[in-house]
Amino acid sequence: MDSLNLALNILCVFSTFLYLLVTLRYDLQMIQQNSYRNKRYLKWLKLGVSTRRLSINFVLFFIARFFIHLIAVKAVISGVSIIGIIVELRKKYKKKLVFTPRAIRLYATSILISLLLFTGVFVATKDINFSLIIILAINALSPLVLMVANIINSPMERAINRWYYNDAKRILNQNRDIIIIGITGSYGKTSTKHYLHRILSEKYNVLMTPGSYNTTLGVIRTIRENLKPYHEVFIVEMGAKQPGDIKEICDLVHPTIGILTSVGEQHLESFKTVSNVQRTKFELIDSLPKDGLAVLNLDFEYVASRVVENTSNVKYYSASDKSADYYLDNINYSNMGSNFSIEGEGVVSESLFTQIVGSHNLSNILAGSIVARELEVPVNSIQYAVSHIEQVEHRLNIRKTSGGITIIDDAFNSNPSGAKMALDVLGRFETGKRIIVTPGLIELGDKQVEYNTNFGAQIATSADYVIVVGSYNRDAIMQGLLSTPFDKTKIYQATSFTDAISHLGGVLKSGDIVLYENDLPDTFK
Amino acid sequence: MNIKVGVFFGGRSVEHEISVISALQAINAFDKVKYTIVPIYITKKGVWYSGDALLDVENYRDTDQLLNQCKEVYMAPNYGDYNLYKKKSCLFGSNVLTSLDVVLPVLHGTNGEDGTFQGLMELIGIPYVGCNPVSSANGMDKIYMKMILKESNVPVIDYVWFTNRDWFTKKEAFIQRVETELGYPIIVKPANLGSSVGISTGHDREGFIKAVELAERFADRILVEKMVVNLKEINCSVLGDYAENQASVCEEPVRSGDILSYEDKYMSSGGGKSSNGMQSTKRRLPADLPQEVTEKIQFLASETFRVLSSNGVARIDFIIDESDNMVYVNEINTIPGSLSFYLWEASGIAFDKLMDKLIKLALKRDREVRLKTFSYDQNIFSLKGGSKGGKLGSKR
Repeated sequence: MDSLNLALNILCVFSTFLYLLVTLRYDLQMIQQNSYRNKRYLKWLKLGVSTRRLSINFVLFFIARFFIHLIAVKAVISGVSIIGIIVELRKKYKKKLVFTPRAIRLYATSILISLLLFTGVFVATKDINFSLIIILAINALSPLVLMVANIINSPMERAINRWYYNDAKRILNQNRDIIIIGITGSYGKTSTKHYLHRILSEKYNVLMTPGSYNTTLGVIRTIRENLKPYHEVFIVEMGAKQPGDIKEICDLVHPTIGILTSVGEQHLESFKTVSNVQRTKFELIDSLPKDGLAVLNLDFEYVASRVVENTSNVKYYSASDKSADYYLDNINYSNMGSNFSIEGEGVVSESLFTQIVGSHNLSNILAGSIVARELEVPVNSIQYAVSHIEQVEHRLNIRKTSGGITIIDDAFNSNPSGAKMALDVLGRFETGKRIIVTPGLIELGDKQVEYNTNFGAQIATSADYVIVVGSYNRDAIMQGLLSTPFDKTKIYQATSFTDAISHLGGVLKSGDIVLYENDLPDTFK
Repeated sequence: MNIKVGVFFGGRSVEHEISVISALQAINAFDKVKYTIVPIYITKKGVWYSGDALLDVENYRDTDQLLNQCKEVYMAPNYGDYNLYKKKSCLFGSNVLTSLDVVLPVLHGTNGEDGTFQGLMELIGIPYVGCNPVSSANGMDKIYMKMILKESNVPVIDYVWFTNRDWFTKKEAFIQRVETELGYPIIVKPANLGSSVGISTGHDREGFIKAVELAERFADRILVEKMVVNLKEINCSVLGDYAENQASVCEEPVRSGDILSYEDKYMSSGGGKSSNGMQSTKRRLPADLPQEVTEKIQFLASETFRVLSSNGVARIDFIIDESDNMVYVNEINTIPGSLSFYLWEASGIAFDKLMDKLIKLALKRDREVRLKTFSYDQNIFSLKGGSKGGKLGSKR
């Protein structure tokens, strides 16, 4: 009997502790997706996405708390823990946990805290049952453990970041001749970065921040890992989640050219108001030197209305407004792409062709070619480059499958005006059923419902079949859709993306068009 | 921050020594304010060494002692790994000697000018000066080069070619062909060797057979060309890439026999080991030619460079038949001796500026290559089976 008891105790300690490791791993993944910020993580916890997981762990804790002395209960706890481990390890996430050095440090600290608590209690009380209860208590409160670990690690993380920051600064200082171009905006900055990179590559060795590395840390990493002595231009995409973010990047790289593509209602959950977004985005323009160049999109009210004084060379561009320094004219779409011209007072008119569609995209090309002109890239090189631009993946990227289906992939970070443009493009197709797969728009603060309702109404005018994914925006989108005479039988409410895809398989026919609009990260599932 | 240029020279080639001289000249020419040079010497056995002792030409008199002062090195063939590794690493610490930004191959002839070395650079994905593997190989192989130029209406001297084995089994037939299509005298060359090695002339059937027997020792494929008797040789260099290039002034090398021999090319001044490479060949610079002939040669040089998709600096060698004033392209050297700097100096581009331009061209091609799509991130194996997965593409 004693040996059975011992074996069960060992099994129970091992399985619950392993289960705790798996739980902490999940929490680590989620805090990573919340940029390691306790405040954002806490807010996300309040959304209740992981409530079920937390309640199971709490129930497990309470059972242990009152019945741990029963052998059968120990067996049950071990069993549940092992099942929990298997379920979690088999789960597939769209955005996986990346074991960066920082993530490993945070994981290690949280495990250390748990181990100390457990062994401390065991050494003090010599009571294995009580120690088991402690493990399960930690397990139930795992997000708290992780946040505490995050606080403990923060002085070390700050010191490490400071060192990397200074190192990046030192590398940049060695390359004094390099031209630094900053790009920011609520929407369009990544596309603009790619277009500008393609055009400037006609004449210069250009480095850009890759993917969506648009934070200070991303810029530091790019400088330390990718900047070569022969680079002549460095394009830096600058993203902001809160005021001061862009200024921080500018203080590191000191751009002489700045492009502001838009100011709109994105990330309102952290910015609260559009004028806060405006102030933050303009941190780039405000940091430019007197002899710098500011390139600003006149089509956005919050860009056009702000006076720029620190830089003498300010160029406004627009997709249509002829009062801009540069504007688009003679736009002609065909199934091959777009023909258009760049006009403006005192501007050498330039007619261009690109495979890319959508007026926002052409406007981004315009911003890129203004900078290219200023940097003396020959006009015919600009024309050549623009005709060879390929659309960035997941950003209104159109492709045909061998089965005759047209896919419009606009899966990255949708926003209201980008989503409307994607719907306009979808609406122009006539080859088959126009299908939209979307979980709706996110991070819009208290306008979340309003925008998704509008979005639902817009869908009704452009699509023939709708698949709404998940529950996060479902009601708002449905409300918008049903406010129009849209055929209810042509709506499918999918529980998950996988469900949406398998449903889609049943309705697709050759000639159909599928628009993927927005793709929620796991934190919103 | 200086650009770190790895200069490779030596190599498994009959032009090993010439390569050392050309490379040391180039290394000297680099503007050291902008560039840091890493010399990498490839021995005749094909082993790589690096070290400062390689920078003094005097040290090459005693190779064993020279190599003792250097470190054996290598590059890994992995894409994106620009490190130069020490073969023998210390017990503790990194085995990375340094990391290169750009590679400058100054390797003449086999295993360096023929695309083999360039192939390794392509695998690594590091920017490098000069032709890519295909252009290098086509430029090196005298038969392919003539086929391509002929197809592109660039004038070349009439030729017949065969392999060693075909010659062995069908000797009589080839003799017949050569005699009816070309007629004596002829000139016989191994297809893929640079620098005049293995080349000889034949003024009758016996001489022709002897010439083939000599050439066979160097290559499996033999080129037979009609020999121009009253000829003038003219060289012209081209600098640039397929899109944009310029031709240099023309030179006329002065020869001592039927053809410009190995000795003429490299050993004429003072002879022996104190040679100064191609730069020291006796020549007339600029060549004494009528303006329109100079222009024609410059045009054909540029055209040859373009048709072969060359890059960097090349020297195109011409033959003018003085009996009818016809101009023929004889060959292209994609890594010319002394990098043809003397032709560019005479054209108003100093040696250090020439090196600048070569590095810029290497970076330009690197940019252009990177803008093309080579692979998709999407893993086709990860797609769901059946038409459904195919239709839906990469979305999960």
